[in-house]
Amino acid sequence: MFCKCAARVSRALRPAHPRCGVLTLPARSDTVSASGTSWSRWTYKRESSNSAWNSKVPQVPTWEPVAENQLPPPTRVSPDLVDKLERLALVDFGNKEGVDCLEKAIRFADQLHVVNTDGVEPMDSVLEDRDLFLRDDTITEGECAEELLHLAKHTVEEYFVAPPGKNNNNKNTITKKTSCSIRT
Amino acid sequence: MVGVVGLEIHAQIQSTSKLFSGSHVRFLAPPNSLVSHFDASLPGTLPVLNRRCVEAAVLTGLALNCTINKKSLFDRKHYFYADMPAGYQITQQRVPIAVDGILVYSHFEGRKRNQVVTKSVKIKQIQLEQDSGKSLHDDERSQTLIDLNRAGVGLMELVMEPEMCCGEEAAAAVRELQLILQALGTCQANMAEGQLRVDANVSVHRPGEPLGVRTEVKNINSVRHLAKAIDYEIQRQMEVLQSGGTVLNETRAFDSKSGFMPEPNLPPLFVYESEASVPGGVDPAQAVVIDRLSTQLPELPSVKRTRLVETHGILQEHSFTLVVFQEMWKAPEKKVGQIVKEQDLWMINDKEELQKICQRVVDSHPEEVQIIRRGNKKVLNKLMGEVQRETKGRTDPVKVRAILEKMVS
Repeated sequence: MFCKCAARVSRALRPAHPRCGVLTLPARSDTVSASGTSWSRWTYKRESSNSAWNSKVPQVPTWEPVAENQLPPPTRVSPDLVDKLERLALVDFGNKEGVDCLEKAIRFADQLHVVNTDGVEPMDSVLEDRDLFLRDDTITEGECAEELLHLAKHTVEEYFVAPPGKNNNNKNTITKKTSCSIRT
Repeated sequence: MVGVVGLEIHAQIQSTSKLFSGSHVRFLAPPNSLVSHFDASLPGTLPVLNRRCVEAAVLTGLALNCTINKKSLFDRKHYFYADMPAGYQITQQRVPIAVDGILVYSHFEGRKRNQVVTKSVKIKQIQLEQDSGKSLHDDERSQTLIDLNRAGVGLMELVMEPEMCCGEEAAAAVRELQLILQALGTCQANMAEGQLRVDANVSVHRPGEPLGVRTEVKNINSVRHLAKAIDYEIQRQMEVLQSGGTVLNETRAFDSKSGFMPEPNLPPLFVYESEASVPGGVDPAQAVVIDRLSTQLPELPSVKRTRLVETHGILQEHSFTLVVFQEMWKAPEKKVGQIVKEQDLWMINDKEELQKICQRVVDSHPEEVQIIRRGNKKVLNKLMGEVQRETKGRTDPVKVRAILEKMVS
């Protein structure tokens, strides 16, 4: 669910607690772990003056707080929208805490509006400049019914079994909802 | 008041393996035997696109005069249903592989039904998408049995503009589409076997006024039923409106436009105009080239009919009947009577033979018989479909239904 630090940050819109998100580098010699190998290799590279390794992670937090007036008006999630979301996502969060958390999460994401995206095409896959591989039309898989059926708790004669839905206004809600309790 | 009909057609791609996995595509097989780890949505599995399915979509788009999108994208459509284990279907909602086509079809008018009228319907788009598994509802034990053999099979969804007015036009359009798909080899288009699924969006209105509320007509397994069901629905809506009521739209929750997101595991799909336009870095064996596929297009039914009329001087309405006898094209010197006898196309009217065939089907489908006996009469349609399949459509559905109903009760 929504992570604790997101909730904390959205409350204050201040830079995150140093332990959250941004790696801070330990002091040179006093953080060699018990196993020894990985950390010492890493600190060795840090100390080497002609090391080609260059961390993309900033050495200090680079956040700047985003002022409230830079953000669009806060979104309120109406009870109707809560119902619709509960139905689509099969999640129970229709209590004050749940709605609060959702609105805070939206507020946190509102910070994206500060970025100017004029003339920039949205990216929907990091693979956008890769070639889509096309496979030959041959049979290479299947014939593992037993293996797959073993994964299910309850099967009937080589069929998987699904329970009927509780909301029987339309028979398409064929699965149960998961309840979601959020602790902030 | 007139009817307005728009069709959404799902055509199962005739390929050896599925759209995104290497499991076999086959109609009859033991439950869950044609299912790979990806089809079962096991974590860590990824979709790998089948080139044959892309070619099938391009061929179909070309035959229907579509613009082929050189770049198309895949999306996820999320909804919950037991026969779709991933919780989403991979489809092409934003930018499909083909758009803006035309299906030209003809039907017979006039009292003697011998006047051929040519019509056309615009095709909004053709998109590649996954089929779902099959669910068998066992109402008695309140459970649903799931068979994933069909999950992940490639489909071409053809969306037509709502330009038809009645069941007859819809039926004629679907029949022509079946012939085209069969000629292309991209889909066997047998409605009884679920290879071609037609959903009709039906509404009524007075010409000039805004369109009325749409309802969907679904789960039809023959062209004849489709025409009847559409006409029945048009009639029903007209009666509702004429008596002052309103038409209720019972669209399912997951038909809303929400629940879409781009498919992050698949880069954009590129197809190329000609060999020359394939960029240097692309493996030629990988590339789907439109020009190359164009040369593979067979003679389409409409062209065949025109050729028949012009070459042999037959009546236009007879050319329709003849095109259906595909044997003609393999051996043009054969006579019709000879072909009908060889292909065994005469109707089966012998009552004993019909009984035998029906008994065979009933005996080989004990599960379905149980379900019918428990009250789900709709499954009788499946048995009827089996009889039609076995007899290659040479039986009178009314007679068959009567016999099956007696046998099952």
